[in-house]
Amino acid sequence: MAVSDTVAATPPAATPTPPAPSRRRRGRTAAYWLYLLPGAVLFLLVIGAPLVGTLYLSLTKWSGIGDPRWVGLDNYQHLLHDDVFWASFRNTIWMLVAMVVVPTVLGLLLAAVLFDVIGRRFKPRTAAALRAAFYLPQVLPVVVAGIVWGWILRPDGAFNSLLDAVGLGALRHDWLGDPGTALPAVMGVMIWVQIGYPVVVFMAALQRVDPELYEAAEVDGANWLHRFRAITLPQIRPETFVVALTCTIAALKVFGPIFALTRGGPDNATNVPSYFAYYTFFKKLQVGYGSAISMVLTLIIVVVAGIFIWMQARSERRDRGF
Amino acid sequence: MQRFRRLVAAIALAATATTTVAACGGGDNGDDSDAKVLKLWHYESETSAMGVGWNKAIEIFKSEHPGVEVRFERKAFEQIQQNAGMIINSSEGPDIMEYNKGNATAGLLSSQGLLADLSDEADKRGWADKLSPSLQTTARYSDKGVMGSGNWFGVPNYGEYVTVYYNKDLFQSNGVKVPTTMAEMTAAMDTFVGKGITPLGMAGAEYPAGQLFYQLALSKADRQFVDNYQLYKNPVDFKADPLKYGADTFAQWVQKGYVAKNSASLKAEDMGTAFIGGKVPMIVSGSWWYGRFKTEMKANWDTFLFPGNTLQAGSSGNLWVVPENSKAKSLAYDFIDITLRPEIQDLIGNNGGVPVAADASKITDPKDRKLIEDFNTVSKSDGLAFYPDWPVPGYYDVLVSGFQGLINGSKSPDQVLDTIAKPYADGVKEITGK
Repeated sequence: MAVSDTVAATPPAATPTPPAPSRRRRGRTAAYWLYLLPGAVLFLLVIGAPLVGTLYLSLTKWSGIGDPRWVGLDNYQHLLHDDVFWASFRNTIWMLVAMVVVPTVLGLLLAAVLFDVIGRRFKPRTAAALRAAFYLPQVLPVVVAGIVWGWILRPDGAFNSLLDAVGLGALRHDWLGDPGTALPAVMGVMIWVQIGYPVVVFMAALQRVDPELYEAAEVDGANWLHRFRAITLPQIRPETFVVALTCTIAALKVFGPIFALTRGGPDNATNVPSYFAYYTFFKKLQVGYGSAISMVLTLIIVVVAGIFIWMQARSERRDRGF
Repeated sequence: MQRFRRLVAAIALAATATTTVAACGGGDNGDDSDAKVLKLWHYESETSAMGVGWNKAIEIFKSEHPGVEVRFERKAFEQIQQNAGMIINSSEGPDIMEYNKGNATAGLLSSQGLLADLSDEADKRGWADKLSPSLQTTARYSDKGVMGSGNWFGVPNYGEYVTVYYNKDLFQSNGVKVPTTMAEMTAAMDTFVGKGITPLGMAGAEYPAGQLFYQLALSKADRQFVDNYQLYKNPVDFKADPLKYGADTFAQWVQKGYVAKNSASLKAEDMGTAFIGGKVPMIVSGSWWYGRFKTEMKANWDTFLFPGNTLQAGSSGNLWVVPENSKAKSLAYDFIDITLRPEIQDLIGNNGGVPVAADASKITDPKDRKLIEDFNTVSKSDGLAFYPDWPVPGYYDVLVSGFQGLINGSKSPDQVLDTIAKPYADGVKEITGK
């Protein structure tokens, strides 16, 4: 018996199956894709094509001129044994502390204090002015900030003069010239640069929280810390994810401040993968190797971003109760 | 329908025009003597010695080539440095361009066939006679792009060298004489240290530390060492003199307070401004500072060659190169020839530059004349030893990092020599395959 006969012989189902999407509805869905087309084309041109190009170059040996020579996975094998590469990733962990952990925690506290205490006890304009002050370093071009901090931290700079002025002249130091202090100094600068971003995002998030929740908690006798833990933190979790994700990506690919402040030195004490890739690519003219570093960095950023997004989605599902 | 026809006609017209223009441009038939445009790029500022000299050269070129248009474009140094390969490999590049000397730049482009071979012109026009052997080193490149031998791929017409700048007023007020030997130099520095003055300005975050190390090493070196180190003629032992002497002496100078221990993070600009401001009595640095000190420094100052050295860090300046794609090669050669004429060379010298073929007696300012005479002394005795970061790409940062460690005391001279030896060996292997 032919299959078509079987189908034809099957009696109509007792319960009606859901109707198939009408042709009109399918047409409308297809039209949505048209709206995605410009973005998709741009993505392919601006991100997709360079990414494929970099992947190809990472499998070659090339000085930037002439024809690249195919070397397969040699560059990646070399990376695994390159001390500078691993040193740069160790420094990245410290940059994550300076650009994600400290700014997020401090930013949260500052936003809560500005919103809850300053905003209520003083005029809202005071809180807004302070918020703008914290955000100011984000507006400055990072290279300008780097140069200015370079002046402040140099041996005869403002920071050492300040130490002199407060009677701590014995602590005078070449902060960026000593491998022991260069990374902490750069971390301090990065905390200063980053702090305004979470403050602004968290303050906006706090304005979204229903005041009745706080009022109810206050009636129940909850103090500020209780309210902060039980209401503020859970309510602004989506913004926390966004801040943590964007700051993590910024920390992983940080380049400008390192370039302006230390060029990765002294003795690779402040080297990071993006600066190492730049140095290998443009200074050593090892385009293939520089591309391999960039590819590994890209992969790490994509994986970390994926983990964050997955955690965020899981958290949202849990909040909705399914 | 009519609109469609108009569109087709417009496309056809554009296509015809394109092919006609392309035909006018002509293929490269090897004869460009009738070219009517010379596209010239360089990156010197208008008021610099070279900028002034080359402006005059353009004037002379125009008067000697009536009907030829000079299309000059001033470019940024970094713009040329990072994009030269792509630029001159295209049809949009210049006919003649200022470009950086060295293996990683002019050498690399020449090895890829992107630069015109200037050997015949150098012989025919006498350029080879005007440039001393050590100046020719940066003009000639082997087929692997290693400088020092092979064909001519560039022509320098100015030079640069490392010398000692000193503040005459500070020397006088502290009773210090201008040293002529290394013993006198260290005695002078001891005097300054005794009076609480750090004698040598330094900038560990940029080139000055590497250059001081190299100057010290050169005091124990000969031409064979320079050839081995810069031109890979023989392997270099970093744990032996002269490099060992350079690193050891540098460390001693830091310990004795000749060089400030807290100068590891300073940049060359910091060192220069400290000298201009009279904060340090001496700096060891290049002739590129000369014009600036002349303009900005209020105290009396002068220069003397690093005492006791027959070899000095220094080289030709950057090069005129002619891209292989140039459609006006003959005109480009004429222009190079003009820049080497005495009147342009003297003009460069009288504006604070270091010409390679000037008559020192034609330089009116005695201080300018001394700068050029010192250069001529070094150049004629084959004393230019190039720069320590030249041998391999990326070596500049290696040296900076290494000598920062020596200044801040985080590394011993032996450790620094180890740090800088491996990248050198890796880089040489990369270039020579050995």
